[in-house]
Amino acid sequence: MLRRRTPAPPRTPAGATDAIVASNLGVQYDLRFNRKRPMREALAKVITRHPPERFWALRHVDVRLAHGESLGVIGPNGAGKSTLLQVLAGIMRPSEGSVEVRGAVSGLLTLGAGFDQELSGRENILLGGAFLGLDDKVTRELMPGIVEYADIGAFIDAPIKTYSSGMRARLGFSIATAVDPDILLLDEVLSTGDATFREKSKARVIDLVRSAKAVVLVTHDMSWVEEYCNRAILLEKGQVIIEGPPAEVVETHLNRTEMARVEREAAARGAGLDPRIAS
Amino acid sequence: MFASRRSAVYREVSGTPGPLALLGEAIGEVLSRRRLIRYLVSADMKKRGSDTVLGNLWWILDPLLQMVVYVIFVTIISPRHQDDYPLFIFAAILPWKWYSSVVADGVVSVVMQAGLIRQIAFPKIVLPIAVTTANLVGFGWGLVPLLGLMLFFPHRISVYLLWIPVIAFVQYVFSIATAMFLAAANVFFRDLGNIAGHLLRLWWFLSPSLFSLDQLENISFIKNRPWIQALAEANPFAVLFTAYRTVIYGSPDGKGPPAAPDLGQLLALLAGSVVLVALAAIVFKRLEPNFAKVL
Repeated sequence: MLRRRTPAPPRTPAGATDAIVASNLGVQYDLRFNRKRPMREALAKVITRHPPERFWALRHVDVRLAHGESLGVIGPNGAGKSTLLQVLAGIMRPSEGSVEVRGAVSGLLTLGAGFDQELSGRENILLGGAFLGLDDKVTRELMPGIVEYADIGAFIDAPIKTYSSGMRARLGFSIATAVDPDILLLDEVLSTGDATFREKSKARVIDLVRSAKAVVLVTHDMSWVEEYCNRAILLEKGQVIIEGPPAEVVETHLNRTEMARVEREAAARGAGLDPRIAS
Repeated sequence: MFASRRSAVYREVSGTPGPLALLGEAIGEVLSRRRLIRYLVSADMKKRGSDTVLGNLWWILDPLLQMVVYVIFVTIISPRHQDDYPLFIFAAILPWKWYSSVVADGVVSVVMQAGLIRQIAFPKIVLPIAVTTANLVGFGWGLVPLLGLMLFFPHRISVYLLWIPVIAFVQYVFSIATAMFLAAANVFFRDLGNIAGHLLRLWWFLSPSLFSLDQLENISFIKNRPWIQALAEANPFAVLFTAYRTVIYGSPDGKGPPAAPDLGQLLALLAGSVVLVALAAIVFKRLEPNFAKVL
Protein backbone atom coordinates (compact mmCIF):
# COMPACT_ATOMS: atom_id res chain seq x y z
CA MET A 1 0.00 0.00 0.00
CA LEU A 2 0.97 3.62 0.18
CA ARG A 3 1.75 3.17 -3.46
CA ARG A 4 2.07 6.41 -5.30
CA ARG A 5 -0.09 6.67 -8.28
CA THR A 6 0.65 8.52 -11.41
CA PRO A 7 -1.47 11.65 -11.58
CA ALA A 8 -5.01 10.92 -12.62
CA PRO A 9 -5.56 11.44 -16.31
CA PRO A 10 -7.87 14.27 -17.32
CA ARG A 11 -11.49 13.72 -16.43
CA THR A 12 -13.69 12.21 -19.04
CA PRO A 13 -17.39 11.73 -18.53
CA ALA A 14 -18.28 8.11 -17.66
CA GLY A 15 -14.68 7.09 -18.19
CA ALA A 16 -12.74 4.40 -16.37
CA THR A 17 -11.05 7.11 -14.32
CA ASP A 18 -14.09 7.56 -12.14
CA ALA A 19 -13.29 6.82 -8.52
CA ILE A 20 -16.89 6.27 -7.52
CA VAL A 21 -19.86 5.43 -9.66
CA ALA A 22 -23.10 4.91 -7.80
CA SER A 23 -26.23 4.58 -9.81
CA ASN A 24 -29.82 4.54 -8.68
CA LEU A 25 -28.67 3.85 -5.16
CA GLY A 26 -31.31 2.92 -2.63
CA VAL A 27 -31.00 1.80 0.98
CA GLN A 28 -34.06 0.55 2.73
CA TYR A 29 -34.32 0.10 6.48
CA ASP A 30 -36.63 -2.44 7.97
CA LEU A 31 -37.86 -0.97 11.23
CA ARG A 32 -39.23 -4.24 12.53
CA PHE A 33 -35.72 -5.26 13.49
CA ASN A 34 -34.78 -2.03 15.20
CA ARG A 35 -36.17 -2.80 18.60
CA LYS A 36 -34.35 -0.07 20.35
CA ARG A 37 -37.42 2.08 20.73
CA PRO A 38 -38.59 2.57 24.27
CA MET A 39 -41.54 0.72 25.73
CA ARG A 40 -43.66 3.88 25.70
CA GLU A 41 -43.27 4.22 21.94
CA ALA A 42 -43.96 0.57 21.33
CA LEU A 43 -47.16 0.97 23.33
CA ALA A 44 -48.12 4.11 21.44
CA LYS A 45 -47.58 2.20 18.25
CA VAL A 46 -50.10 -0.41 19.28
CA ILE A 47 -52.69 2.17 20.29
CA THR A 48 -52.31 4.50 17.31
CA ARG A 49 -52.26 3.43 13.71
CA HIS A 50 -49.22 1.45 12.65
CA PRO A 51 -46.64 3.58 10.89
CA PRO A 52 -44.93 2.02 7.87
CA GLU A 53 -42.42 -0.61 8.89
CA ARG A 54 -39.96 0.16 6.10
CA PHE A 55 -38.44 3.34 4.89
CA TRP A 56 -35.90 4.37 2.33
CA ALA A 57 -32.92 6.14 3.86
CA LEU A 58 -31.67 6.75 0.34
CA ARG A 59 -33.46 6.40 -2.95
CA HIS A 60 -32.62 7.03 -6.59
CA VAL A 61 -29.31 8.57 -5.71
CA ASP A 62 -26.69 8.86 -8.43
CA VAL A 63 -23.18 9.85 -7.47
CA ARG A 64 -20.29 10.00 -9.85
CA LEU A 65 -16.93 11.14 -8.65
CA ALA A 66 -13.81 11.36 -10.78
CA HIS A 67 -10.31 11.05 -9.37
CA GLY A 68 -9.19 14.50 -8.33
CA GLU A 69 -12.66 15.66 -7.44
CA SER A 70 -13.97 16.61 -4.04
CA LEU A 71 -17.67 16.24 -3.36
CA GLY A 72 -19.48 17.92 -0.50
CA VAL A 73 -22.62 16.27 0.85
CA ILE A 74 -24.93 18.52 2.85
CA GLY A 75 -28.45 18.26 4.16
CA PRO A 76 -30.48 18.32 7.35
CA ASN A 77 -30.19 15.62 10.01
CA GLY A 78 -31.57 12.29 8.90
CA ALA A 79 -31.23 13.13 5.22
CA GLY A 80 -29.21 9.97 4.55
CA LYS A 81 -25.76 11.56 4.39
CA SER A 82 -24.08 9.07 6.70
CA THR A 83 -25.91 6.18 5.06
CA LEU A 84 -24.48 7.30 1.74
CA LEU A 85 -20.97 7.26 3.18
CA GLN A 86 -21.55 3.82 4.69
CA VAL A 87 -22.60 2.45 1.33
CA LEU A 88 -19.59 4.03 -0.39
CA ALA A 89 -17.29 2.58 2.28
CA GLY A 90 -18.70 -0.90 1.66
CA ILE A 91 -20.20 -1.13 5.15
CA MET A 92 -23.71 -1.49 3.81
CA ARG A 93 -24.92 -3.24 0.74
CA PRO A 94 -27.42 -1.17 -1.25
CA SER A 95 -30.97 -2.49 -1.37
CA GLU A 96 -31.30 -1.12 -4.86
CA GLY A 97 -28.89 -0.02 -7.56
CA SER A 98 -25.15 -0.45 -7.53
CA VAL A 99 -21.98 1.22 -6.34
CA GLU A 100 -18.56 0.81 -7.82
CA VAL A 101 -15.46 2.11 -6.11
CA ARG A 102 -12.03 2.14 -7.70
CA GLY A 103 -9.17 2.76 -5.31
CA ALA A 104 -8.33 2.21 -1.67
CA VAL A 105 -11.00 3.77 0.48
CA SER A 106 -10.39 5.29 3.86
CA GLY A 107 -13.16 6.78 5.91
CA LEU A 108 -12.87 9.02 8.91
CA LEU A 109 -16.26 8.27 10.27
CA THR A 110 -17.36 9.42 13.68
CA LEU A 111 -14.47 9.48 16.12
CA GLY A 112 -14.83 7.84 19.48
CA ALA A 113 -16.10 4.28 19.04
CA GLY A 114 -14.13 1.23 18.08
CA PHE A 115 -11.39 1.05 20.67
CA ASP A 116 -11.01 -1.95 22.90
CA GLN A 117 -11.07 -0.47 26.39
CA GLU A 118 -8.86 -3.10 28.03
CA LEU A 119 -6.08 -3.00 25.45
CA SER A 120 -3.26 -0.47 25.34
CA GLY A 121 -3.08 2.21 22.68
CA ARG A 122 -0.37 0.31 20.88
CA GLU A 123 -2.37 -2.93 20.88
CA ASN A 124 -5.38 -1.03 19.63
CA ILE A 125 -3.36 0.28 16.72
CA LEU A 126 -2.43 -3.28 15.74
CA LEU A 127 -5.98 -4.51 16.20
CA GLY A 128 -7.35 -1.54 14.26
CA GLY A 129 -4.94 -2.20 11.43
CA ALA A 130 -6.07 -5.84 11.34
CA PHE A 131 -9.71 -4.73 11.21
CA LEU A 132 -8.90 -2.40 8.34
CA GLY A 133 -7.30 -5.29 6.51
CA LEU A 134 -3.86 -3.73 6.55
CA ASP A 135 -0.92 -6.06 6.42
CA ASP A 136 0.60 -6.41 9.88
CA LYS A 137 3.97 -5.24 8.58
CA VAL A 138 2.37 -2.08 7.23
CA THR A 139 0.68 -1.35 10.55
CA ARG A 140 3.96 -1.78 12.38
CA GLU A 141 5.64 0.58 9.94
CA LEU A 142 2.95 3.18 10.48
CA MET A 143 3.08 2.78 14.26
CA PRO A 144 5.81 5.34 15.10
CA GLY A 145 4.09 8.01 13.04
CA ILE A 146 0.72 7.29 14.61
CA VAL A 147 2.14 7.36 18.13
CA GLU A 148 4.02 10.57 17.50
CA TYR A 149 1.08 12.43 15.99
CA ALA A 150 -1.34 11.31 18.71
CA ASP A 151 1.06 12.85 21.23
CA ILE A 152 -0.20 11.03 24.30
CA GLY A 153 3.19 10.19 25.79
CA ALA A 154 3.56 7.15 28.01
CA PHE A 155 -0.19 6.52 27.87
CA ILE A 156 0.33 4.73 24.57
CA ASP A 157 1.14 1.59 26.59
CA ALA A 158 -1.71 2.03 29.07
CA PRO A 159 -5.22 0.60 28.57
CA ILE A 160 -7.56 2.87 26.60
CA LYS A 161 -9.93 2.98 29.57
CA THR A 162 -7.43 5.19 31.37
CA TYR A 163 -7.47 7.75 28.55
CA SER A 164 -9.26 11.06 28.65
CA SER A 165 -11.78 11.58 25.87
CA GLY A 166 -9.42 14.03 24.20
CA MET A 167 -6.59 11.49 24.16
CA ARG A 168 -8.94 8.90 22.73
CA ALA A 169 -10.02 11.24 19.96
CA ARG A 170 -6.41 12.16 19.19
CA LEU A 171 -5.34 8.53 18.91
CA GLY A 172 -8.36 7.66 16.79
CA PHE A 173 -7.76 10.56 14.45
CA SER A 174 -4.10 9.71 14.22
CA ILE A 175 -4.82 6.09 13.23
CA ALA A 176 -7.50 7.02 10.77
CA THR A 177 -5.34 9.54 8.96
CA ALA A 178 -2.17 7.45 8.96
CA VAL A 179 -3.18 5.54 5.88
CA ASP A 180 -2.83 7.36 2.62
CA PRO A 181 -6.01 6.58 0.72
CA ASP A 182 -7.03 7.06 -2.89
CA ILE A 183 -10.55 7.89 -1.84
CA LEU A 184 -11.27 9.67 1.41
CA LEU A 185 -14.68 9.61 3.07
CA LEU A 186 -15.14 12.21 5.80
CA ASP A 187 -18.09 12.44 8.13
CA GLU A 188 -18.10 15.40 10.53
CA VAL A 189 -14.60 14.73 11.75
CA LEU A 190 -13.82 18.13 13.02
CA SER A 191 -16.19 18.39 15.92
CA THR A 192 -14.06 16.53 18.48
CA GLY A 193 -11.04 17.34 20.59
CA ASP A 194 -9.89 20.52 22.25
CA ALA A 195 -9.24 23.74 20.35
CA THR A 196 -5.53 23.10 19.84
CA PHE A 197 -6.10 19.64 18.49
CA ARG A 198 -8.95 20.85 16.32
CA GLU A 199 -6.58 23.25 14.63
CA LYS A 200 -3.93 20.56 14.24
CA SER A 201 -6.43 18.05 12.88
CA LYS A 202 -8.00 20.56 10.55
CA ALA A 203 -4.61 21.15 8.99
CA ARG A 204 -4.12 17.43 8.53
CA VAL A 205 -7.55 16.90 7.03
CA ILE A 206 -6.90 19.71 4.59
CA ASP A 207 -3.63 18.01 3.65
CA LEU A 208 -5.46 14.74 3.12
CA VAL A 209 -8.18 16.38 1.09
CA ARG A 210 -5.54 18.01 -1.07
CA SER A 211 -3.50 14.83 -1.57
CA ALA A 212 -6.31 12.28 -1.85
CA LYS A 213 -7.39 11.41 -5.33
CA ALA A 214 -11.04 11.79 -4.49
CA VAL A 215 -12.91 13.06 -1.45
CA VAL A 216 -16.47 12.80 -0.21
CA LEU A 217 -17.09 15.19 2.65
CA VAL A 218 -20.21 15.12 4.80
CA THR A 219 -20.48 18.22 6.93
CA HIS A 220 -22.72 20.84 8.46
CA ASP A 221 -19.97 23.40 8.10
CA MET A 222 -20.85 25.24 4.89
CA SER A 223 -17.53 27.08 4.74
CA TRP A 224 -15.81 23.71 4.31
CA VAL A 225 -17.97 22.81 1.38
CA GLU A 226 -17.41 26.13 -0.33
CA GLU A 227 -13.70 26.12 0.36
CA TYR A 228 -12.61 22.55 -0.31
CA CYS A 229 -15.18 20.99 -2.59
CA ASN A 230 -15.51 21.50 -6.29
CA ARG A 231 -18.97 19.99 -6.38
CA ALA A 232 -21.75 19.44 -3.87
CA ILE A 233 -25.02 17.63 -3.49
CA LEU A 234 -27.91 18.44 -1.21
CA LEU A 235 -29.68 15.42 0.28
CA GLU A 236 -33.11 15.63 1.85
CA LYS A 237 -35.11 12.64 2.98
CA GLY A 238 -32.82 10.32 1.06
CA GLN A 239 -33.16 12.13 -2.25
CA VAL A 240 -30.80 14.39 -4.12
CA ILE A 241 -32.44 17.82 -4.24
CA ILE A 242 -29.76 19.57 -6.20
CA GLU A 243 -26.29 18.86 -7.47
CA GLY A 244 -23.86 21.44 -8.73
CA PRO A 245 -21.25 24.04 -7.79
CA PRO A 246 -20.83 24.30 -4.00
CA ALA A 247 -21.95 27.92 -3.69
CA GLU A 248 -25.19 27.21 -5.49
CA VAL A 249 -25.97 24.07 -3.52
CA VAL A 250 -25.17 25.72 -0.20
CA GLU A 251 -27.42 28.64 -1.06
CA THR A 252 -30.28 26.29 -1.95
CA HIS A 253 -29.75 24.44 1.32
CA LEU A 254 -29.77 27.64 3.40
CA ASN A 255 -32.89 28.87 1.65
CA ARG A 256 -34.74 25.62 2.14
CA THR A 257 -33.68 25.44 5.80
CA GLU A 258 -34.96 28.96 6.33
CA MET A 259 -38.23 28.14 4.59
CA ALA A 260 -38.69 25.03 6.69
CA ARG A 261 -38.04 27.07 9.84
CA VAL A 262 -40.61 29.69 8.89
CA GLU A 263 -43.15 27.00 8.12
CA ARG A 264 -42.49 25.28 11.43
CA GLU A 265 -42.92 28.54 13.31
CA ALA A 266 -46.14 29.27 11.52
CA ALA A 267 -47.38 25.81 12.33
CA ALA A 268 -46.39 26.26 15.96
CA ARG A 269 -48.23 29.59 16.14
CA GLY A 270 -51.23 27.99 14.51
CA ALA A 271 -51.19 25.21 17.07
CA GLY A 272 -50.84 27.79 19.85
CA LEU A 273 -53.91 29.65 18.65
CA ASP A 274 -56.00 26.55 18.26
CA PRO A 275 -57.29 26.19 21.81
CA ARG A 276 -58.53 29.80 21.96
CA ILE A 277 -60.36 29.42 18.68
CA ALA A 278 -61.85 26.17 19.85
CA SER A 279 -63.16 27.74 23.05
CA MET B 1 -11.40 2.08 14.33
CA PHE B 2 -12.67 4.88 12.27
CA ALA B 3 -11.25 4.37 8.92
CA SER B 4 -12.27 1.78 6.49
CA ARG B 5 -10.08 0.61 3.77
CA ARG B 6 -10.95 -1.69 0.98
CA SER B 7 -8.90 -3.31 -1.70
CA ALA B 8 -8.46 -1.55 -4.96
CA VAL B 9 -11.76 -2.10 -6.73
CA TYR B 10 -15.04 -3.34 -5.45
CA ARG B 11 -18.53 -3.35 -6.64
CA GLU B 12 -21.62 -3.74 -4.57
CA VAL B 13 -24.95 -4.43 -6.12
CA SER B 14 -28.27 -5.03 -4.50
CA GLY B 15 -29.33 -8.63 -4.24
CA THR B 16 -27.71 -11.67 -2.64
CA PRO B 17 -25.35 -14.20 -4.22
CA GLY B 18 -26.22 -17.88 -4.10
CA PRO B 19 -25.40 -20.13 -1.12
CA LEU B 20 -22.26 -21.62 -2.64
CA ALA B 21 -20.88 -18.21 -3.56
CA LEU B 22 -21.60 -17.06 0.01
CA LEU B 23 -19.80 -20.08 1.42
CA GLY B 24 -16.81 -19.46 -0.83
CA GLU B 25 -16.75 -15.83 0.26
CA ALA B 26 -16.84 -16.86 3.92
CA ILE B 27 -13.94 -19.26 3.50
CA GLY B 28 -11.89 -16.64 1.67
CA GLU B 29 -12.58 -14.05 4.37
CA VAL B 30 -11.55 -16.33 7.20
CA LEU B 31 -8.35 -17.41 5.46
CA SER B 32 -7.34 -13.85 4.62
CA ARG B 33 -8.10 -12.53 8.09
CA ARG B 34 -6.29 -15.11 10.21
CA ARG B 35 -4.22 -12.41 11.85
CA LEU B 36 -7.29 -10.45 12.84
CA ILE B 37 -8.70 -13.60 14.44
CA ARG B 38 -5.43 -14.09 16.29
CA TYR B 39 -5.46 -10.51 17.59
CA LEU B 40 -9.06 -10.83 18.66
CA VAL B 41 -8.30 -14.04 20.52
CA SER B 42 -5.34 -12.54 22.36
CA ALA B 43 -7.38 -9.42 23.17
CA ASP B 44 -10.06 -11.68 24.59
CA MET B 45 -7.49 -13.55 26.68
CA LYS B 46 -6.12 -10.34 28.05
CA LYS B 47 -9.53 -9.04 29.01
CA ARG B 48 -10.69 -12.16 30.77
CA GLY B 49 -10.08 -11.83 34.44
CA SER B 50 -8.23 -8.56 34.09
CA ASP B 51 -10.59 -6.97 36.60
CA THR B 52 -10.65 -9.80 39.18
CA VAL B 53 -8.14 -10.35 41.94
CA LEU B 54 -7.40 -13.94 41.01
CA GLY B 55 -7.38 -13.20 37.28
CA ASN B 56 -6.67 -16.16 35.05
CA LEU B 57 -6.63 -18.42 38.08
CA TRP B 58 -10.40 -18.48 37.71
CA TRP B 59 -10.03 -20.63 34.61
CA ILE B 60 -8.64 -23.31 36.86
CA LEU B 61 -10.87 -22.70 39.88
CA ASP B 62 -14.17 -22.44 37.99
CA PRO B 63 -14.48 -26.05 36.81
CA LEU B 64 -13.16 -27.35 40.14
CA LEU B 65 -15.74 -25.44 42.16
CA GLN B 66 -18.49 -26.49 39.76
CA MET B 67 -17.43 -30.08 40.23
CA VAL B 68 -17.59 -29.73 44.00
CA VAL B 69 -21.14 -28.38 43.75
CA TYR B 70 -22.31 -31.29 41.60
CA VAL B 71 -20.54 -33.90 43.69
CA ILE B 72 -22.28 -32.60 46.83
CA PHE B 73 -25.59 -32.31 45.02
CA VAL B 74 -25.52 -35.79 43.50
CA THR B 75 -24.25 -37.42 46.67
CA ILE B 76 -27.23 -36.01 48.56
CA ILE B 77 -29.99 -36.92 46.09
CA SER B 78 -28.64 -40.26 44.98
CA PRO B 79 -26.61 -42.59 47.16
CA ARG B 80 -25.85 -44.82 44.17
CA HIS B 81 -23.37 -43.33 41.75
CA GLN B 82 -20.22 -44.27 39.88
CA ASP B 83 -16.91 -44.86 41.61
CA ASP B 84 -14.50 -41.94 41.57
CA TYR B 85 -17.48 -39.72 40.87
CA PRO B 86 -15.52 -36.41 40.95
CA LEU B 87 -13.51 -37.52 37.94
CA PHE B 88 -16.59 -38.96 36.25
CA ILE B 89 -18.32 -35.61 36.41
CA PHE B 90 -15.27 -33.47 35.76
CA ALA B 91 -14.87 -35.18 32.38
CA ALA B 92 -18.23 -33.65 31.41
CA ILE B 93 -17.94 -30.29 33.21
CA LEU B 94 -14.76 -29.32 31.39
CA PRO B 95 -16.06 -29.57 27.81
CA TRP B 96 -19.46 -28.21 28.81
CA LYS B 97 -17.95 -25.15 30.42
CA TRP B 98 -16.21 -24.48 27.12
CA TYR B 99 -19.38 -24.94 25.11
CA SER B 100 -21.56 -22.85 27.38
CA SER B 101 -19.09 -19.97 27.28
CA VAL B 102 -18.97 -20.26 23.50
CA VAL B 103 -22.74 -19.86 23.47
CA ALA B 104 -22.74 -16.98 25.95
CA ASP B 105 -19.93 -15.09 24.19
CA GLY B 106 -20.99 -16.13 20.70
CA VAL B 107 -24.50 -14.74 21.04
CA VAL B 108 -23.17 -11.23 21.70
CA SER B 109 -20.02 -11.43 19.57
CA VAL B 110 -21.46 -9.42 16.68
CA VAL B 111 -23.81 -7.19 18.68
CA MET B 112 -20.99 -6.11 20.98
CA GLN B 113 -18.99 -4.76 18.06
CA ALA B 114 -21.87 -2.57 16.85
CA GLY B 115 -19.72 0.56 16.89
CA LEU B 116 -17.08 -1.02 14.73
CA ILE B 117 -19.53 -2.62 12.33
CA ARG B 118 -21.17 0.71 11.61
CA GLN B 119 -17.81 2.27 10.82
CA ILE B 120 -15.59 -0.24 9.05
CA ALA B 121 -16.15 -2.74 6.34
CA PHE B 122 -14.64 -5.98 7.61
CA PRO B 123 -15.75 -9.61 7.48
CA LYS B 124 -17.94 -10.01 10.54
CA ILE B 125 -17.59 -13.78 10.37
CA VAL B 126 -14.25 -13.53 12.18
CA LEU B 127 -16.06 -12.45 15.37
CA PRO B 128 -17.81 -15.73 16.32
CA ILE B 129 -14.76 -17.70 15.19
CA ALA B 130 -12.50 -15.63 17.44
CA VAL B 131 -14.83 -16.14 20.40
CA THR B 132 -14.90 -19.89 19.92
CA THR B 133 -11.13 -20.02 19.60
CA ALA B 134 -10.57 -17.88 22.69
CA ASN B 135 -12.72 -20.27 24.67
CA LEU B 136 -10.74 -23.19 23.27
CA VAL B 137 -7.74 -21.67 25.01
CA GLY B 138 -9.84 -21.53 28.18
CA PHE B 139 -10.54 -25.22 27.74
CA GLY B 140 -6.80 -25.79 27.47
CA TRP B 141 -6.35 -24.10 30.83
CA GLY B 142 -9.02 -26.39 32.25
CA LEU B 143 -6.75 -29.34 31.53
CA VAL B 144 -4.48 -28.12 34.34
CA PRO B 145 -7.00 -28.87 37.11
CA LEU B 146 -7.91 -32.07 35.28
CA LEU B 147 -4.34 -33.29 35.57
CA GLY B 148 -4.30 -32.17 39.20
CA LEU B 149 -7.49 -34.08 39.87
CA MET B 150 -6.14 -37.18 38.15
CA LEU B 151 -3.32 -37.33 40.71
CA PHE B 152 -6.01 -38.35 43.23
CA PHE B 153 -7.09 -41.20 40.96
CA PRO B 154 -3.71 -42.46 39.71
CA HIS B 155 -5.10 -45.82 38.57
CA ARG B 156 -7.13 -43.99 35.89
CA ILE B 157 -4.18 -42.22 34.30
CA SER B 158 -3.53 -43.66 30.83
CA VAL B 159 -2.09 -42.85 27.43
CA TYR B 160 -5.66 -42.48 26.17
CA LEU B 161 -5.64 -38.97 27.64
CA LEU B 162 -3.79 -38.03 24.45
CA TRP B 163 -7.13 -38.43 22.64
CA ILE B 164 -8.44 -35.27 24.31
CA PRO B 165 -7.19 -32.91 21.56
CA VAL B 166 -8.88 -35.05 18.90
CA ILE B 167 -12.21 -35.00 20.73
CA ALA B 168 -11.76 -31.28 21.42
CA PHE B 169 -11.28 -30.66 17.70
CA VAL B 170 -14.64 -32.24 16.92
CA GLN B 171 -16.22 -30.11 19.63
CA TYR B 172 -14.47 -27.02 18.24
CA VAL B 173 -16.04 -27.51 14.81
CA PHE B 174 -19.47 -28.04 16.36
CA SER B 175 -18.98 -24.94 18.55
CA ILE B 176 -18.06 -22.75 15.58
CA ALA B 177 -21.33 -23.65 13.88
CA THR B 178 -23.26 -22.77 17.04
CA ALA B 179 -21.46 -19.48 17.61
CA MET B 180 -21.85 -18.35 13.99
CA PHE B 181 -25.53 -19.08 13.89
CA LEU B 182 -26.29 -17.47 17.25
CA ALA B 183 -24.15 -14.39 16.55
CA ALA B 184 -26.01 -13.65 13.31
CA ALA B 185 -29.48 -14.44 14.61
CA ASN B 186 -29.04 -12.37 17.77
CA VAL B 187 -28.65 -9.19 15.73
CA PHE B 188 -32.27 -9.46 14.68
CA PHE B 189 -33.66 -11.23 17.70
CA ARG B 190 -32.01 -9.95 20.84
CA ASP B 191 -33.97 -12.22 23.13
CA LEU B 192 -31.81 -15.08 21.92
CA GLY B 193 -29.28 -14.62 24.74
CA ASN B 194 -31.95 -15.15 27.40
CA ILE B 195 -33.46 -18.11 25.60
CA ALA B 196 -30.10 -19.73 24.93
CA GLY B 197 -29.22 -19.60 28.63
CA HIS B 198 -32.25 -21.65 29.58
CA LEU B 199 -31.93 -24.08 26.70
CA LEU B 200 -28.33 -24.68 27.69
CA ARG B 201 -29.27 -25.60 31.22
CA LEU B 202 -31.91 -28.00 29.96
CA TRP B 203 -29.46 -29.51 27.48
CA TRP B 204 -26.89 -30.08 30.23
CA PHE B 205 -29.29 -32.03 32.40
CA LEU B 206 -30.69 -34.02 29.46
CA SER B 207 -27.20 -34.96 28.31
CA PRO B 208 -25.36 -37.79 30.02
CA SER B 209 -23.47 -35.35 32.20
CA LEU B 210 -24.35 -36.32 35.75
CA PHE B 211 -25.25 -39.85 34.69
CA SER B 212 -24.17 -42.26 31.97
CA LEU B 213 -26.21 -43.28 28.94
CA ASP B 214 -26.62 -46.87 30.08
CA GLN B 215 -28.38 -45.68 33.24
CA LEU B 216 -31.23 -44.49 31.02
CA GLU B 217 -32.00 -48.07 30.05
CA ASN B 218 -32.87 -48.85 33.64
CA ILE B 219 -35.65 -46.26 33.69
CA SER B 220 -38.85 -48.09 32.70
CA PHE B 221 -40.39 -44.99 31.10
CA ILE B 222 -37.52 -44.85 28.63
CA LYS B 223 -37.22 -48.60 28.23
CA ASN B 224 -40.73 -48.69 26.76
CA ARG B 225 -39.91 -45.86 24.37
CA PRO B 226 -36.82 -46.76 22.36
CA TRP B 227 -36.97 -43.48 20.44
CA ILE B 228 -36.06 -41.58 23.57
CA GLN B 229 -32.97 -43.71 23.98
CA ALA B 230 -32.13 -43.20 20.28
CA LEU B 231 -32.58 -39.45 20.66
CA ALA B 232 -30.44 -39.41 23.79
CA GLU B 233 -27.66 -41.21 21.95
CA ALA B 234 -27.84 -38.91 18.91
CA ASN B 235 -27.30 -35.85 21.13
CA PRO B 236 -23.91 -34.40 20.10
CA PHE B 237 -23.03 -33.99 23.73
CA ALA B 238 -23.84 -37.61 24.47
CA VAL B 239 -21.18 -38.49 21.89
CA LEU B 240 -18.73 -35.90 23.23
CA PHE B 241 -19.24 -36.58 26.94
CA THR B 242 -18.98 -40.32 26.35
CA ALA B 243 -15.78 -39.85 24.34
CA TYR B 244 -14.16 -37.56 26.94
CA ARG B 245 -15.26 -39.85 29.71
CA THR B 246 -13.94 -42.95 27.98
CA VAL B 247 -10.44 -41.53 27.72
CA ILE B 248 -10.34 -39.69 31.05
CA TYR B 249 -12.40 -41.83 33.40
CA GLY B 250 -12.85 -45.17 31.72
CA SER B 251 -15.94 -46.91 30.45
CA PRO B 252 -18.85 -44.60 31.43
CA ASP B 253 -20.75 -47.45 33.06
CA GLY B 254 -17.88 -47.64 35.52
CA LYS B 255 -16.95 -51.19 34.56
CA GLY B 256 -13.87 -50.74 32.42
CA PRO B 257 -10.57 -48.85 32.40
CA PRO B 258 -9.89 -45.88 30.07
CA ALA B 259 -9.88 -46.79 26.40
CA ALA B 260 -9.90 -45.22 22.95
CA PRO B 261 -13.15 -43.38 22.12
CA ASP B 262 -15.68 -44.66 19.61
CA LEU B 263 -14.16 -43.28 16.41
CA GLY B 264 -17.19 -44.04 14.26
CA GLN B 265 -19.37 -41.83 16.44
CA LEU B 266 -16.79 -39.06 16.55
CA LEU B 267 -16.36 -39.09 12.77
CA ALA B 268 -20.11 -38.99 12.26
CA LEU B 269 -20.33 -36.01 14.61
CA LEU B 270 -17.44 -34.33 12.83
CA ALA B 271 -19.09 -34.80 9.45
CA GLY B 272 -22.37 -33.47 10.79
CA SER B 273 -20.59 -30.50 12.36
CA VAL B 274 -18.81 -29.63 9.12
CA VAL B 275 -22.17 -29.54 7.36
CA LEU B 276 -23.54 -27.37 10.18
CA VAL B 277 -20.60 -24.96 9.89
CA ALA B 278 -21.24 -24.63 6.15
CA LEU B 279 -24.93 -23.97 6.78
CA ALA B 280 -24.19 -21.50 9.58
CA ALA B 281 -21.67 -19.68 7.39
CA ILE B 282 -24.25 -19.35 4.60
CA VAL B 283 -26.88 -18.06 7.02
CA PHE B 284 -24.34 -15.66 8.52
CA LYS B 285 -23.24 -14.31 5.15
CA ARG B 286 -26.86 -14.01 4.09
CA LEU B 287 -27.72 -11.84 7.09
CA GLU B 288 -24.42 -9.93 7.24
CA PRO B 289 -25.30 -7.10 4.81
CA ASN B 290 -28.09 -6.03 7.17
CA PHE B 291 -25.96 -5.93 10.33
CA ALA B 292 -24.93 -2.30 9.86
CA LYS B 293 -28.52 -1.25 9.32
CA VAL B 294 -29.96 -2.95 12.37
CA LEU B 295 -27.17 -2.41 14.91
